[in-house]
Amino acid sequence: MLRLYSTIQKEILILLRDRGGLMIMFIMPMAMITLMALIQDAPFRDYQEMRIPLLLVNNDKGSLGSTIDSGLNESKIFEITNLQLDKDVVKQKMKSGDYEIAIIIPAGASTMLNSKVSSFVTKKLNEVGFSDSAAIAKTDLNQELNLEILFSPETKKAFKASILSTLKQATSKIETQTLLELFNKELKQDDEAKSGKAEPMRDFVNFREINTVETPAEALKLNSVQHNVPAWTIFGMFFIVISMSGSIIRERDEGSYTRILTMPGLYITVLGGKIAAYLLICLIQCFLMLMVGIYILPQFGLPQLVIGNSIPAISIVAITAGLAATGYGILVGTIFKTHQQASTFGAISVIILAALGGIWVPVFVMPESIKIFAEFSPLYWGLSAFHKLFLNEGTIKSILPYAFKLVLFFVFTLSFALLYTKNNRS
Amino acid sequence: MNDNAAIEVKNLLKTYKGATVPAVNSISFTIEKGSIFGLLGPNGAGKTTTISILCGLSKATNGDATLMGLSLKKQLAEIKQLIGVVPQEIALYPTLTAFENLRYVGNMYGLRGANLRKKIKDNLEVVGLSEFADKKIETFSGGMKRRINLVAGILNDPKILFLDEPTVGVDVQSRNLITEHLHQLNNAGCTIVYTSHLMEEAENLCTAIAIIDHGQILALGEPKALIKEHSTGNLEQLFLKLTGKKLRD
Repeated sequence: MLRLYSTIQKEILILLRDRGGLMIMFIMPMAMITLMALIQDAPFRDYQEMRIPLLLVNNDKGSLGSTIDSGLNESKIFEITNLQLDKDVVKQKMKSGDYEIAIIIPAGASTMLNSKVSSFVTKKLNEVGFSDSAAIAKTDLNQELNLEILFSPETKKAFKASILSTLKQATSKIETQTLLELFNKELKQDDEAKSGKAEPMRDFVNFREINTVETPAEALKLNSVQHNVPAWTIFGMFFIVISMSGSIIRERDEGSYTRILTMPGLYITVLGGKIAAYLLICLIQCFLMLMVGIYILPQFGLPQLVIGNSIPAISIVAITAGLAATGYGILVGTIFKTHQQASTFGAISVIILAALGGIWVPVFVMPESIKIFAEFSPLYWGLSAFHKLFLNEGTIKSILPYAFKLVLFFVFTLSFALLYTKNNRS
Repeated sequence: MNDNAAIEVKNLLKTYKGATVPAVNSISFTIEKGSIFGLLGPNGAGKTTTISILCGLSKATNGDATLMGLSLKKQLAEIKQLIGVVPQEIALYPTLTAFENLRYVGNMYGLRGANLRKKIKDNLEVVGLSEFADKKIETFSGGMKRRINLVAGILNDPKILFLDEPTVGVDVQSRNLITEHLHQLNNAGCTIVYTSHLMEEAENLCTAIAIIDHGQILALGEPKALIKEHSTGNLEQLFLKLTGKKLRD
């Protein structure tokens, strides 16, 4: 126990006196969190919150125009401006970047739609002998009713699809309503129908949005803060690979390793002390990063980090991720001969594992072929566990599979390092 | 088993992985308790390999050795409590102070508290570094580092002390202090095993020597007796006579 305690004390003293190392371990990840959260705020808002400026030129005085208007408003995707403008002016405004999308509804669109539906229904009823020839529509069914939609080149496919869907929905609603009214009138089913007024069309299926967690939905959206804080916390923890492998290599180069091996006790005790010291650093790092998310980032106008309600579960994720990082640090420090080799490999490998693990960009936006590799990144396991806790109000049980994988990674890397050391000494 | 032997080496063989020639080729020798034994040889002769095996740093391919009657193969943990090692490198943490370095080494031997502090204080006094106890090693001169390196090796009052070129690169004053201190330790009953390229120092310091080359012992005995036996003027001439004048890597 004395050996373990003494090694922890020695490692902490060395770390505290290494200002460059402290910068890498604490200041850099904190700066990264702040910077990345700020940089990625707009793309995340774009993805989830930002509204697209849309110009609606509604020349129609009837129900079609108003249904389209209300449908677009209900979608909450668009920032709608209603103006009466010529097509050329609309084009000009699109070119100047004032609007990304414009919709022009021609004058009399509702009347024309009603007439077309009416003609179609009357024609069909006539064919089956339900109507008299006098009621045959005068409207030409081949006459075109065109709603004009203008998209700027940078409009995303999703927004185009949303616009077309809203327009389809609006026109369908009007068409159905008109059809019902005509059928009621022709079939003369009741007194109300005789008057030519049918009950307004209702939605028979309602859609309700239900949160799967109790925290207000607004707080649990995967925004820039909810992604970047846990992501860069995990990254920062794994970045201790550089300091840790450097410490092992320095010990070897300076001869302390030789002295340690000639002293009583097992080498694993010395490694245990090193692991404990660096694990402590990881936990302090994690605590500070989460504090940045909760207290510092809101000062920059970013949302506050929501960490869920299971502190024990967060501690388990932090400890297991820290263990995985220290295990990896020992492995890199054991295998590589020089500090330069270890720091280069350590940094690049952590960056690759971070990229695969969804630290830079969330895994769900990655191509399917890359998503497969994410499953093998310990940074992904750590980040997924944090997301479970922060976004889904996960419990200890829900993060156990990730914690287990992280511990397994630690055991594997440490065992490999010990085996490598043993083989090299024999 | 020789009760008077501090170290008994029997047919010690070490062949490194991929090597065709053994680094140590079935050597046998005995080091008496209370002696200062010099293991001398040119670069690559096998002396560091021999010491590494005896300290438990490396495993012998074949053969065995006993240290204070304990088998190297079977009782390494007990042996480690009895030995002290002063490596050729300055095996200290540069950003820690002399006291912090020595406290760590002492703790690793199970020493603690007032007893450890007294040992550190006494030893620093002997090597003339009392006033530098709280200074970082990185601020020390080469000679000062060598002296602290020596203290770190003897903090546990070893029965056998291994030193790998303990005076390399130090000034005359520091070298003098180190050799004087080694004499004191030896007088107190510590058996010293020492390697060096400095023949004059070895001739004056050692009570017995082994000249080793190509993994084999070429001469073994008291320095004066060996010089007489081979009719050479001093140890350096004897060394050159036995190992040749050809340059080594």
